[in-house]
Amino acid sequence: MDTTTHAAPPAAAGPLSLHGLSVEGVNQCVHCGLCLAYCPTFSELGTEMDSPRGRIFMIKSLAEGRMSLSDSTVRHLSLCLDCRACETVCPAGVPYGRLIEAAKAEIERDRPGALGRRLFRWLNFGLLLGHPRLLGLAASGARFYQASGLQRLVRKSGLVRLLPGTLPAWEALLPPVPAKAERTAPPRVTPAEGPRRARVALLTGCVQSVIFAAHNRATARVLAKNGCEVIVPDGQGCCGALNAHGGDHERALAMARKTIDAFESARADAVVVNTSGCGAHMKAYGHLLAADRGYAERAKRFAASVRDLAEFLAQEPLRGSLSSVPLTCTYHDPCHVAHGQKIKSEPRTLLAQIPGLRVVELAESDWCCGSAGIYNLTEPEMATRLLHRKVSHVLATGAEAVVTANPGCILQIQAGLGAHGSAVRVLHLVEILDRAYGGPGGAQ
Amino acid sequence: MPDALLDKLRAAVGAANLLTGVELSPYVVEGRTPEAAVFPGSIEEVAVVMALASQVGRSVTPWGGGTAASVGMPAPRAGLIMGLRRLGRLLDHEPGDLTATVEAGMTVAALQTALGSRGQWLSLDPADADRATIGGVLATNACGPRRHLYGTARDLLIGVTVVTADGSIVKGGGKVVKNVAGYDLPKLFIGSYGTLGVIVEATVKLRPLPGQEELVCVRFDRLKDAGAAVRAIAASDLLPNAVELLDGAAAAGAGLAAGSPTPGGLLVVGFDGVREQVDWQRAELARLTGPLGGRDVRPLEVAAWARLTPAARAAFGATAAVMALAVLPSQVAETMEQGAGIARGRGLQSAWAAHAGVGVVRGAVASDPAPTDPAALAAVLAEWREMARAGGGHANLEWAPLVVKSQVPVWDDPGAAGRIMERIKAQLDPRNILNPGRFVAGI
Amino acid sequence: MSPLTDTRKRELRRELESIVGQAAVLSDPDELMVYESDGLTLFRALADFVVFPTSAQHVSAVVKLANRENLPFVARGAGTGLSGGCLPTEGGIVISMMRMNRVLEVDYENQIAVVEPGLVNLHLSWKVGPRGYYYAPDPSSQQACTIGGNIANNSGGPHTLKYGVTTNHVLGLEVVMPDGEIVWLGGKTREACGYDLAGVFVGSEGTFGIATRIVVRILKKPQAVKTVLAVFDAIDQASAAVSAIIARGLVPAAMEMIDRLTIQAVEDAFNCGYPRDADAALLIELDGLAVGMDTQAEHIVAACRESGAREVRTARSEAERQLLWKGRKSAFGAYGRVSPAYMVMDGVIPRTKLPYVLRRVNEIVAAAGLRVGNVFHAGDGNLHPNILYDPRKPGEEARVVAAGAEIMKVCAQVGGSISGEHGIGLEKADFMPFIFSAADLALMHRLKSAFNVSGLCNPGKIFPTKKSCVEVGPVAYRPHAIEEKGLAQRF
Ligand SMILES: Cc1cc2nc3c(=O)[nH]c(=O)nc-3n(C[C@H](O)[C@H](O)[C@H](O)COP(=O)(O)OP(=O)(O)OC[C@H]3O[C@@H](n4cnc5c(N)ncnc54)[C@H](O)[C@@H]3O)c2cc1C
Ligand code: SF4
Ligand code: SF4
Repeated sequence: MDTTTHAAPPAAAGPLSLHGLSVEGVNQCVHCGLCLAYCPTFSELGTEMDSPRGRIFMIKSLAEGRMSLSDSTVRHLSLCLDCRACETVCPAGVPYGRLIEAAKAEIERDRPGALGRRLFRWLNFGLLLGHPRLLGLAASGARFYQASGLQRLVRKSGLVRLLPGTLPAWEALLPPVPAKAERTAPPRVTPAEGPRRARVALLTGCVQSVIFAAHNRATARVLAKNGCEVIVPDGQGCCGALNAHGGDHERALAMARKTIDAFESARADAVVVNTSGCGAHMKAYGHLLAADRGYAERAKRFAASVRDLAEFLAQEPLRGSLSSVPLTCTYHDPCHVAHGQKIKSEPRTLLAQIPGLRVVELAESDWCCGSAGIYNLTEPEMATRLLHRKVSHVLATGAEAVVTANPGCILQIQAGLGAHGSAVRVLHLVEILDRAYGGPGGAQ
Repeated sequence: MPDALLDKLRAAVGAANLLTGVELSPYVVEGRTPEAAVFPGSIEEVAVVMALASQVGRSVTPWGGGTAASVGMPAPRAGLIMGLRRLGRLLDHEPGDLTATVEAGMTVAALQTALGSRGQWLSLDPADADRATIGGVLATNACGPRRHLYGTARDLLIGVTVVTADGSIVKGGGKVVKNVAGYDLPKLFIGSYGTLGVIVEATVKLRPLPGQEELVCVRFDRLKDAGAAVRAIAASDLLPNAVELLDGAAAAGAGLAAGSPTPGGLLVVGFDGVREQVDWQRAELARLTGPLGGRDVRPLEVAAWARLTPAARAAFGATAAVMALAVLPSQVAETMEQGAGIARGRGLQSAWAAHAGVGVVRGAVASDPAPTDPAALAAVLAEWREMARAGGGHANLEWAPLVVKSQVPVWDDPGAAGRIMERIKAQLDPRNILNPGRFVAGI
Repeated sequence: MSPLTDTRKRELRRELESIVGQAAVLSDPDELMVYESDGLTLFRALADFVVFPTSAQHVSAVVKLANRENLPFVARGAGTGLSGGCLPTEGGIVISMMRMNRVLEVDYENQIAVVEPGLVNLHLSWKVGPRGYYYAPDPSSQQACTIGGNIANNSGGPHTLKYGVTTNHVLGLEVVMPDGEIVWLGGKTREACGYDLAGVFVGSEGTFGIATRIVVRILKKPQAVKTVLAVFDAIDQASAAVSAIIARGLVPAAMEMIDRLTIQAVEDAFNCGYPRDADAALLIELDGLAVGMDTQAEHIVAACRESGAREVRTARSEAERQLLWKGRKSAFGAYGRVSPAYMVMDGVIPRTKLPYVLRRVNEIVAAAGLRVGNVFHAGDGNLHPNILYDPRKPGEEARVVAAGAEIMKVCAQVGGSISGEHGIGLEKADFMPFIFSAADLALMHRLKSAFNVSGLCNPGKIFPTKKSCVEVGPVAYRPHAIEEKGLAQRF
């Protein structure tokens, strides 16, 4: 009896890599399948190629030269959300996130644009994310588009369907851009209140600084209440997470270096991040820049200082006096907090300290909502299916608000709830905390 | 039967172990006398006898204690009785493994005594344990009240040796408690009524004997309320080893209806474990059943266990028929009431007893004081069967005179699955010599 | 490889699409390759098509088409099987059940559920959990494997010791027979009508047809649970503790053993609280009534101490208990941290033979120059020696297979079996003669012929050789590949 009916994988051929990035991690996968039912795309489709095990198999086969980058392979790899739910459950410790990033970089090299993101990338990665000022301008444009009623007109008239490619989905998700006054960043330095705990540097992000500037200001206030001196370093831009996930490896490296440069000078005890994707990505700078002589050591040190906001705050009981927030809420775990950084209990610990707040558990709380960076724009169909799933779980809890910690999730889930005609609101964790501390005018 | 064949059989098993002529009277079933009865003393002898019978196309009826000999249709042609009483040894008992291997002709009671001396038991409690043999119990899938917690033969048999129609000695399963190598042959032979092979040896899982055991009964004025109590027990934390439900007539038949008036329903529940567990459960049972109309909670004597399974049949001096209905546990009381109503509607008296927690219900029709009108009886039985089927179950005639069996099929219709059963029979017994015609679908 | 021409394939694809829909047929070679293995990567086979039915009617129509075309077909669940059971050894159609994954009905009063076969085992317990019920069979792969795969392999799990394996929990099945007919075997009641076909179907490894609906029992969650971890400095002491517990007349709900290498792997994976320096640990669970549980636990603790346990502790919280179980259930996967591949054996032995067999296992593996991790159902005597190896090192795979065969022989010699729960599949087919005679196998083959008349349903599995046993009768002997290579002998 033979153990195989067709060509077997080649024996030992040196370390496996794609696009110069090591994918040796594929050998850790023992094909046990324990990850399958936790993968959102596999759960929706039931197809092995859209499962973690299948994707790892494809990545391995690509690296071994057993498979080529065919249309179908590209298709299944790009359908991956990069949510890393599979990493959390994998007992073998397969570093899935790194593998898929390498695969996406390879796809990008082999067939630029195959990921269906060219337009978007040009628009966003290259131009806007790299240039905060331009991003600001674009934001003004978007705000004009919304505020002027043009958006309603375009939507109503069906013009939206004439927009190119994936734009219609994008358009629907376009967040309400706040007026300029509300887009101001937190002060460069916020002094600590009470006994001093630490000096922290705050990442104010890119998309975040435009759409959710209020969250950053709230973050600075909450940190200050908890004894932190908060610095907002100059010269920071985008951390490069979106580029890395989108297969734009070169630009991701450049952005990482720039971020390190900007933060090192702040000489903070910790770099605090309130957007999950950025936090997870920055914690991986050490790996990302490992081959860069000039930066390898600095990147490691920097990465070790990065803390998710909840992770940082939950180290101690919340300080100061908290007023009641009479609300029933549920918590959605952003992928890059729960899976990317393995932070699950901390946000719940914080919420539990807020008087008056009732927290109910959400089914599949750590399942991707479909936002996944720019996934909802590039893979609208799957994103919609997952959003649907998320929204129905949210509605089943009966909560009045969903608390989460990532701008992408907030936009996505809010859009989903809106489409269901639901009044449930989506809030950032820091908004709730800030409210308990009394908000911008918070006393004491 | 040709003398040449008899000689060969004698040569195979020894003259003393072959019966013919008037000696066959204990083996007459439904008035039919077999041609001969052979009592092989080893598995190899069983195989030789089978091979001989197969060569000449004689039908073979495996015979353990004869307690179920009249179940099913009798063989259309006379043939051989294959008596297994000489295969009566306990071959192996390893307490540390909680397993035992036993020959098919050993009686259940003898086996339990042997195991009990080392603190273990086979958790199967069929009626007639003194006479019923392991082989027969497996072939008929017989069981008793304790199946509620411990399951039936299918949950306990881990290995089986069978002599097939062509005289091959075949084994399935093994001696270990967990085994998925090959098809699950033990399942195939359990409840196959000797139509696929002669079971000659079995390996079973054992359990440690419980420290304490107690049977408790609760009286209800209405059977319906007792049915509600059965459901309440199922939804509770109780872990009874038996949950039996008897109507007044069956309770009287089992000698459990002490006090008057006769209860509408008697709930009998068994508990085992350490003392404190039994005590807690008895109290909990009283607490649960009280609000549902349960009264007079009291322990029963040990001897009552054995009277539970045959309770319906024991209700009357003479019984016209007994039917076993498989229904959903939640439908038990309803089935009993409705079934009794159907019989009353035709002027017949019936008695009902059930392994209520698992949905196995037995209804018996009285044939005293006057002999039952066969047409009415047939109609009642047919309606009972319909009633079981309507709830997704089925019903088999467990006991009835041949006249009734020729009017109402003994076995329920297995539907499309019957074709697979026929194919299995054709594969394993192509010449149709093992208990021909006795079983489901004419097998 | 497939005998189908490209044109024929295209035509068949169109026909399959007309049955199950366009998005439910795979025929792209790259996509098919992803289906080449199950949880055991030692074996690989390519299908011509993978289809994703959503109803019994779909399955029936696909099976009828396969019959018409004389194409083999095989059902596939989650593909976590560890014996190559769902591989299309002779090409043909893989019928994936993953889109038939609904819970169709739950009847709490009668404690039964009707489910589709693609339902993930654990998801049934999740579904009925809030009402206080659960589905008892708990293979360690329960977070991923399907109930259809479970019934095919008659899967077990840690709690099998008290609650039995899958077959003890299945009442009935709707099956698409190998000729395409849809038939019910058993039903919702506890008694079978006629032969116990449902009982025979369970464990038939997908060779008797494809289950499309399954009636299973659900159980009330026990009133109380106690989980004890006993730590030993020598694995023999742990084996002795297992016997000592049984000797005291106790049958715990579960009794699992984990050896040193495995402890280290799972601690690397999830930090579950097993002491890294122990030679072996026993995870023992009691469940049932709250009264009397402490007394039983004391017995367990005493038995472990008498056998030399250096530490015995009880999980203090549900979280701690869950974590200990997570470690146990993740063990196979965790080997990925210490080795790029492993081959898991599945022998069963009478539990009194544990110390002897464990010693032999270690000797055999050491002699082959390999490492072994042991994590298994000690209470049942169901061993899982996991032989670690690196498929990229020339010759290692063959040494693993040979050592595996040796271990299976040892199990057979002490009166055990070559598979306790993973099934024979492709992997152990040629080892069946270790425990079954030609007559035994011939009878099994007759039984198979009654269900699988054409032989197209999951061919090449369970029986020792591929072609020779199509005729009923003594099974012709053909050497296993590894015997031909001189790596193992038959006895
Ligand atoms: C990490 C790990 C741990 C494991 N632990 C255990 C354990 O503790 N206990 C245990 O018993 N097993 C265990 N296994 C083995 C495996 O998970 C089981 O055999 C499981 O039942 C397979 O289910 P599946 O859905 O993956 O089936 P598959 O692997 O897809 O298929 C298995 C078999 O089922 C057949 N099949 C699938 N669906 C159907 C259907 N609807 N009708 C008919 N046949 C069908 C297939 O043809 C094949 O023969 C483990 C496996 C892994 C990887
Ligand atoms: S990724 Fe991890 S969990 Fe998934 S199959 Fe591979 S080893 Fe198993
Ligand atoms: S990252 Fe998410 S979508 Fe991608 S394979 Fe893992 S679980 Fe699936």
